Amino acid sequence: MDDRFDDLLRDAAREYNQPPETPREEMWARIVAERATEEKEKSEKSAGGVIPIRRLQHLRHFRPLALAAGIAALLAIGIGLGRLTVPPPTSTPAPAAVASETPRVNSAAYRVVTTEHLSQSEAFLTLFRASLRQPGNERLASATARQLLATNRLLLDSPAATDARTRLLLQDLELVLAEIAQLSPQPRSRDLELITEGLEQGGVLSRLRTAVPAGASATQGAL
Amino acid sequence: MSELQFLDDLTLRSRVEERELIGRVLAGDPTAERTLYDAHVDRVFRLVYRMAGDLDRAQDYTQETFIRAFSRLAEFRGEAALSTWLGSIAISVTLNGLRKLRRRNEREVALEDGMPVGRFSSPADPDLKSRLAQAIDDLPDGYRAVFVMHDVEGYTHEEIGTSLGVHPGTSKAQLFRARARLREALADFAKD
Repeated sequence: MDDRFDDLLRDAAREYNQPPETPREEMWARIVAERATEEKEKSEKSAGGVIPIRRLQHLRHFRPLALAAGIAALLAIGIGLGRLTVPPPTSTPAPAAVASETPRVNSAAYRVVTTEHLSQSEAFLTLFRASLRQPGNERLASATARQLLATNRLLLDSPAATDARTRLLLQDLELVLAEIAQLSPQPRSRDLELITEGLEQGGVLSRLRTAVPAGASATQGAL
Repeated sequence: MSELQFLDDLTLRSRVEERELIGRVLAGDPTAERTLYDAHVDRVFRLVYRMAGDLDRAQDYTQETFIRAFSRLAEFRGEAALSTWLGSIAISVTLNGLRKLRRRNEREVALEDGMPVGRFSSPADPDLKSRLAQAIDDLPDGYRAVFVMHDVEGYTHEEIGTSLGVHPGTSKAQLFRARARLREALADFAKD
C-alpha cells in the first residue's frame, strides 16, 4: 500500500513547480553584465579606488573573532586528524609494492578525537534541547551544528572509522546536526518537533552519553 | 568491450573534456565560459525553479549560481563531477535566497495584520497534485531539497550528499522522512 502510494506521490511530484523553458540567453546576458561590473569594481579597488557601498554592506554582519575562532577550530581538527591518521614519513623510501596497501591508521588517536567530538555534540544537543522553549538561539545553534557537522564528516570519512557502532552513531548524529544546521532563524514548531523526534527515536542523546566515558568533558563549550 | 567498460570509458572521457574546458575558462577563454554555461544551465535552472517556484527568483538564483561558479572555478578540485559542484552552489544560493525572502515576508506580514505566511502556494483544494504541492511547500527546507532533488529531478543520494554536504545515508533518511510527512499530509488520498 505504502509502495503504491509512494509511486503515486512520485508521479504527481513530477509536476511540482514544473519549470518552463530555460531563458538561457536572457540569463547569460545578465551574468556577463554582472561579471563585467564585478571586474570593474575589482580593478578600481586594486588601483586604490573607493570600495563600492554595495560591497561594504556585506561587512555589516562580519564578526572577525567568531569567524577566526571557527576557522581555527576547523583547521585544528583537520590538521589533527591528518597528523593522527597518516603515518610519519620514514627516512628510507617504501618499496613500490606497499603503495597499494591501505594507509596505516592510528586508531587510539582517532578514538581520542572521536570521544572529544561526541562529548561536544552531547553538550550541544543537551543545551539545544533545553533551549527549545526559549526562542532566539536558532541562528547560533545552526552555526554550531554546522561546525560539528564538518567534524562529524571528517570522522566518518577517516580510514580509522572502522568500529560499526561508532559509525552508526556518527551517521545518526549527522542527521540530527544536519536538521539543526538547516533551521531557519524563526523555525516553525513542526521543524523543532521533528528534530526532537529524531533525537528521541534514535536515542541519539542517550547513545552519545553511553559512548562518552565518564569524566570526558567538552573542553570547548559548544554553545 | 563490455557495456560497463564502455560506460567507464565514456565517463573518463567526459571528465577529461570537462577538465580541458575548465582549463580554458580559467585561462580566460570566453567561448569556453559559454560552453560550460550551455552544458549545465538547464539542469541548474530546473532544480532552482523546482525549489523557488517562481520565474524571476529562479532566474536570479541561477545567475548567482553561475557568477559564483565562475569566480570560484579555480577552487574546483574535480573530486565530484562539475554538475554536482554546480548543484551544491545552486542549492545553497536558492535556500539562502528563500530564507531571506521568508524572513522579509514574515516581517511584512507581522507589520500588517499577523496573517499566517504561506510559501509560494495556492490555496488547498481536493486535487491530489495541488494538495501535494502544498504539502511539499510545507516541508522543512532540508527535506524539501532532498525530496525535490531525488524524487522530482532524479539526483542520486551520492550527488545530493555532495551538494548538501551530508552523507548519502543522511540524504536517504531525510527522503524517508520527507515521504512520511507527505503521506501523513495526504493520508485521506492514501485511503482511497
